[in-house]
Amino acid sequence: MMNNGKPAITVRELTKNFDSFTAVNAIDFDVYHGEIFGFLGPNGSGKTTTIRMMLGLVEPSSGTIDVLGTRVNQGVGDIRPRLGYMSQRFSLYNDLSVLQNLQFYGKAYGLNKEAMEQRIGEALEMSGLVGRENTQTKELSGGWRQRLALSAAILHRPEVLFLDEPTAGVDPVSRRAFWDLLYKFVAEGITVFVTTHYMDEAEHCHRLAFIQRGMIIAYGSPEQIKHEKMQGQVLEISPSDSIKSIKVLREAQQEDRLQVEEIELYGSLVHIIAVDLEEKKLLVKEILGQADIDIEQMTIIEPSLEDVFIASMRD
Amino acid sequence: MSFRHIWAITRKEFHHILRDRSTLFLVLITPTALLLLFAYALTVDIQHVPIAVLDYDRSSLSRTFVQQITAGEDIDLYAQVETIGEIEDLLMKGEVKAALILSPNFSNDLLALKGLPLQVIIDGTEPESGVFAVDHIAWRAEEFVNQAVAGQLQAMGVPLDTLQPIDLRIRTWFNPDLKPRNDLIPGLISMVLGMPALSVALTLAHEREHGTLEQLMATPIGRAELLVGKMVPYIIVGLINVVVIPIIAILWFRIPFNGSFILFFVLSAIFLFSILSLGIIVGVFMPTQAAALALSFLVIFFPGFFLTGIFFPIASMPEIMRLEALGLPGTHYAVITRGIFLPGVGLDVLWPYAIMMTGLGFAFTGVAALFFKKKLG
Repeated sequence: MMNNGKPAITVRELTKNFDSFTAVNAIDFDVYHGEIFGFLGPNGSGKTTTIRMMLGLVEPSSGTIDVLGTRVNQGVGDIRPRLGYMSQRFSLYNDLSVLQNLQFYGKAYGLNKEAMEQRIGEALEMSGLVGRENTQTKELSGGWRQRLALSAAILHRPEVLFLDEPTAGVDPVSRRAFWDLLYKFVAEGITVFVTTHYMDEAEHCHRLAFIQRGMIIAYGSPEQIKHEKMQGQVLEISPSDSIKSIKVLREAQQEDRLQVEEIELYGSLVHIIAVDLEEKKLLVKEILGQADIDIEQMTIIEPSLEDVFIASMRD
Repeated sequence: MSFRHIWAITRKEFHHILRDRSTLFLVLITPTALLLLFAYALTVDIQHVPIAVLDYDRSSLSRTFVQQITAGEDIDLYAQVETIGEIEDLLMKGEVKAALILSPNFSNDLLALKGLPLQVIIDGTEPESGVFAVDHIAWRAEEFVNQAVAGQLQAMGVPLDTLQPIDLRIRTWFNPDLKPRNDLIPGLISMVLGMPALSVALTLAHEREHGTLEQLMATPIGRAELLVGKMVPYIIVGLINVVVIPIIAILWFRIPFNGSFILFFVLSAIFLFSILSLGIIVGVFMPTQAAALALSFLVIFFPGFFLTGIFFPIASMPEIMRLEALGLPGTHYAVITRGIFLPGVGLDVLWPYAIMMTGLGFAFTGVAALFFKKKLG
């Protein structure tokens, strides 16, 4: 993951104020060469503002950003050709054809004729659009357009690729295909900075930062975050009535009869997070039994990142 | 400034224009359509104004006078009336636009060379027709008096050929027929050729609205390159109209074109650059297409119409308006189109206006690039 020891991106004390509202509040993180760095957070947590500051599109209120050895606080200038960006909104021209879009971005990044031909060929193959070069972009469905936008962003072979919520509104199969492409890029040595609000995508990242209300509340590899942030284990219960179970268990927690960290609904399951779960299993069984709730299954499981983030957000 | 970057934007804009029929229509057809519309709407000649006549004199002279003024196409005798009340009634109903009252002393005064006692009443709610009627009656009356004077002199035995009447000859240069079209249409041309400025304002706002501007700003294309690249296609399309519009003016409206066409073409290209820069400023400041369109009307369309001296002389405007007029490319271009069409003057006369347009163009582009920071927030 490291490349001559220096991170590709270094962010220190980065802050952005909009009038009285602080969108990003003194965040620090590093992105290393050749990794997929995930920037996670709920909507409105400051993800897009951060990515725009890193690309020099928005000026920070304070703090520093260094990308590929250049300070980009006032704009990225010379290193622009070394960066790729796919903005949150669909970034291609709907009224132009697939080919015209690719040609435009190729020219914008100064590709010469041979490189252009070769890269466009590769891009069409990658996005599965060979033979549909002259289709108007607006006629493509969501997944195709997303892959085409990614192909356009990668056309000039950037060293760092910034993706802002690339999979928002894309179906699960297309999302999977999209992540496969990202792994392919990383194998070619590209560094990827990706924002998302999908928790399951966090597990795909090499390292990640979790941002909430403009502040980073978890940072590191998925394993590190689980290890550091998760004080305790997860008890997964499959009860006959999960809603009622949550209610009963939380009452017990409030009355201090049950000392646990978190009680969360997880689909039709209930997750209880606590230290020394083995000892508390019997107590849980007893509380649910008193409320006439049957337990089909009860096991201690490995925590997912989602458990971790929910636990972190409660802090 | 990189030519490759400008060309990338220009090429893309051409694709947009060719793909979108409404834009193509807007930039290609609108100038011609507006020219035809305004030329016909604004040069309608007044004819056949209906008037009422109240003749208190009832002499043969008064009847001859009424006959003379209502002969021809200009004024029609709608009714001979007996009382003032009837005149009021006809004017109220709008059936006549003016009324002529001949005094009982009409023929006596005329024969005594004491003048011509006439009264004309006009409908002030539609003064154009009324004023036209007054002018026409005054002109005919003068003629009538001259004839009467000549007759009287002859009767007194004065030989007419010894008289030396005042010989006042008014000559109108450049537009000898004093046809309003000859003057108006070159002025209108200066306005309609500026229409692509609206399109260029919209295209920038369109990119902002659709989020592609953010993507563009992340590319190595600089802000000035982006703005210039967007202007070039509209200058080229605008130049098509610079050729088409004079042809329509010459062949259809029979407007004389006395100057150099090459000079007209080059100065028109400079005008397009400066007016498109104004459009770019609008696009830079406005967040949406709707806002850009509204502001375009406010700073490009209406001032181009009312402040550039096409209809109202700039000299008669208040000082602040005169200053604003100087800042509009159309003001200088209107002088150029009129100058090249009618007197056919050359660069020796028009250079100050060319320099003003060039200066405004660079100033506008500079302001646009300055405020169009490569920033979003």
